[in-house]
Amino acid sequence: MLFNSLHFILFLPLVVIVYYLLAPKYRWLLIFFASCYFYMAFVPAYILILFFVILVDYFSGLAIERSKGRSRLLFLIGSLVANGLLLAFFKYFNFFNENLAALTNLLGGNFEGFKLSIVLPIGLSFHTFQSMSYTIEVYRGKQKAERHIGYFANYVLFFPQMVAGPIERYDRLGNALQKDQPLRYRNFAEGFRLILFGFFIKMVVADNIAPLVNLVYENPFEHTRFEVFSAVILFSFQIYADFFGYSTIALGSARLLGVTIMDNFNTPYLSKSITEFWNRWHISLSTWFKDYLYIPLGGNRVSWQRWCLNIMIVFMVSGLWHGASWTFVAWGALHGVMLVIERFTRHVIGTFETKRWLHPLLIIKTFFITSLIWIFFRAESFQKAKDIFKILIDGNPKGTNEAGIVVAAIAALAIITADVLLYGNRIDRVLGKQSAFVRWLVYGLLLFSVLALSGAKKFSFIYFQF
Amino acid sequence: MVKKIAIRVLLLCLIILVSDMIYRVCFFTADFKNYSPQLFEIQNSSDSTDVYYFGESSNTSFVYEDSSYKSISALTAQHFPQLYFRNINKEATHAGIYLRWLEYLGKQNKLPKAVVVTMNLRSFNAAWVHSELENSLQEALVMGYPCLPVINRFLLALQAFSHKTMAESEQLTLKDWASEPLNLPDSGAFKSVKDWDAKMADGGYLNEDGTWNQKKIELACHYIKAYALNITPQNKRVQDFDNIQHWCAKNHVNLYLNLMAENVDYADSLVGKDLVFLMRRNRDFLVNRYNTGNCKVVDNLETVSGDLFIDQHWTTEHYKIKGRLRIANNLAKAISKDFETTVKN
Repeated sequence: MLFNSLHFILFLPLVVIVYYLLAPKYRWLLIFFASCYFYMAFVPAYILILFFVILVDYFSGLAIERSKGRSRLLFLIGSLVANGLLLAFFKYFNFFNENLAALTNLLGGNFEGFKLSIVLPIGLSFHTFQSMSYTIEVYRGKQKAERHIGYFANYVLFFPQMVAGPIERYDRLGNALQKDQPLRYRNFAEGFRLILFGFFIKMVVADNIAPLVNLVYENPFEHTRFEVFSAVILFSFQIYADFFGYSTIALGSARLLGVTIMDNFNTPYLSKSITEFWNRWHISLSTWFKDYLYIPLGGNRVSWQRWCLNIMIVFMVSGLWHGASWTFVAWGALHGVMLVIERFTRHVIGTFETKRWLHPLLIIKTFFITSLIWIFFRAESFQKAKDIFKILIDGNPKGTNEAGIVVAAIAALAIITADVLLYGNRIDRVLGKQSAFVRWLVYGLLLFSVLALSGAKKFSFIYFQF
Repeated sequence: MVKKIAIRVLLLCLIILVSDMIYRVCFFTADFKNYSPQLFEIQNSSDSTDVYYFGESSNTSFVYEDSSYKSISALTAQHFPQLYFRNINKEATHAGIYLRWLEYLGKQNKLPKAVVVTMNLRSFNAAWVHSELENSLQEALVMGYPCLPVINRFLLALQAFSHKTMAESEQLTLKDWASEPLNLPDSGAFKSVKDWDAKMADGGYLNEDGTWNQKKIELACHYIKAYALNITPQNKRVQDFDNIQHWCAKNHVNLYLNLMAENVDYADSLVGKDLVFLMRRNRDFLVNRYNTGNCKVVDNLETVSGDLFIDQHWTTEHYKIKGRLRIANNLAKAISKDFETTVKN
């Protein structure tokens, strides 16, 4: 089920009402069945994949806790391998085969590979990563194994964040889902604000930018340099608005049920460096990679050569996590390279960062770099990415200006304004401090925009495919 | 707390009402025209429109060499200078959508004297009934839903209409092709579209050198998928046409079901007499079912010879000017009978 669907708009209030009508001890059952229903709106049979993840990691957690010595590690490896194999099969099987075939043919062999015609389960990378974090934490002794399989299932399945995060840890989400959440007006008010703002960001901003970006990326040579450049810049806003919008609706939906989940974004395009950008963009994934890959690799307590290697590994794996394609790996690798460059030029950048008047320039610089790197993320192939760069550099005399930049630019302006106004803060908190008149004025503007100015074509959340 | 929430819900309803007022003034007309052009045309058509022609691409397709690019509806209208014709057109439309247009006409209190509704034999087949193109047809109706305009705009953004993915559409079509019996008189012949299609694919056309003529086989298979069906009262389109007929009878509007010509010549030479038999049997079913009361079926099935079809290697109802003229003349003849009567009255 998509958040931006009538189905969800009817589903959520119903779940919330029943949730508070039920006695607390039965609420976990409602969350469980509602989440199953939510997920089964995509491909019903794929719920079995989630059950597999739940069973494997539930029993692994128990086994790790009860074991000692090497067997603890063996159970952890078993859990990680099972999750990894699931991902490998559904997400990377075709990618692996294509590359194997290409390599074999390059070496003079003749291998066509096997192609699986299956739909990728939505959000597979999110819930496997979330579930894996639980077994790792149990192994590390920081988390007690959950005895109640229903509670653990809800941690993996919780519908507001199951398909596109934030990737939560058990100590926050798992425990929050077990608490007796009393009916509080404040939760409703905050949840409503977050959901309304999330819909605005997704439907008014992202969905009004998407047609232009799609048009240009489908046939870049039909467009002028200005249009291609606009599409490159606007895609940065589209993906941000799309994912930020989703995360905000997720936050709001959880809040209605009394559950607080983590913020995934913190005005990332106001970052002064790529390093700062990664502290503000998709925070739950960044922290996951930091805790479970970067630090185990040695983090920054290693030689500079090893540190560079660690950074490149983390970012390339992060790229591959996003999608089974070399363009995603390139996207991750370029971010890694930028981080390395920043580390070795930090004595210069550090000087700049102390001067406040230079901050706007640093922000613009960071934004342009991320926008250019996004090209690899958005382009379906290296050839498409190359075409985009070619037009940006050489121009395209045959191109026509027909993509309708104005609407998309206004939409982008809306999110820039929101980011500047909300810098370091969140819509529900900022609005909560305003007078009733200002609050309702903002609600009115947001609601009117969502009702009347949303993109007329619905675009699925970009991160659902991961 | 309940009171507090109730007050806020009321305030939200008020915001929606105010939003609707602003939306009507500032954006509605442009959005309506843009996203539901057919309904917009109906809403803005003159109250004095006598005849509405509801059609799809068969009405307006032409080739460069045609001596006139006029549509079937325009050619028909030429016969009736005293009647004001209005053409409402959208590609791939079918009876289910025409019914919605008629209902919208009724809501606007714009009842005409007559309605011509295109009846396309292929629109009864599984591929069209379950077509993915249905999404865009349904989308074009959203702005006319019986809600506040601003809510309709929101429903459009949510794509809140019956929606099929390509996979679902394909699955449903394949299921029907496999399960719906053709009931050919020769009981040993083909049982279903799937069966026939497979046999054609396995034993179709050979080239002179003994290799398979793949292009011809594919076209023959396509003809089978397009026309091999046994139209029954349970067919979705038949139910839609029943409702159209019922609506017209209730509102005292003359109804002309313009059964479009198909390339029967090519169906015969490419697939054979069994397929032609089915096409004729289906035509007879439709004519017998709907030729009653204020409804007339204008039977054009075999009116246009094979050479007058624009697409010689595909199944469409796109005709060269001579074909369009023949259909328009047939239709005009049917209309003129009733309007003479009306005039006399």
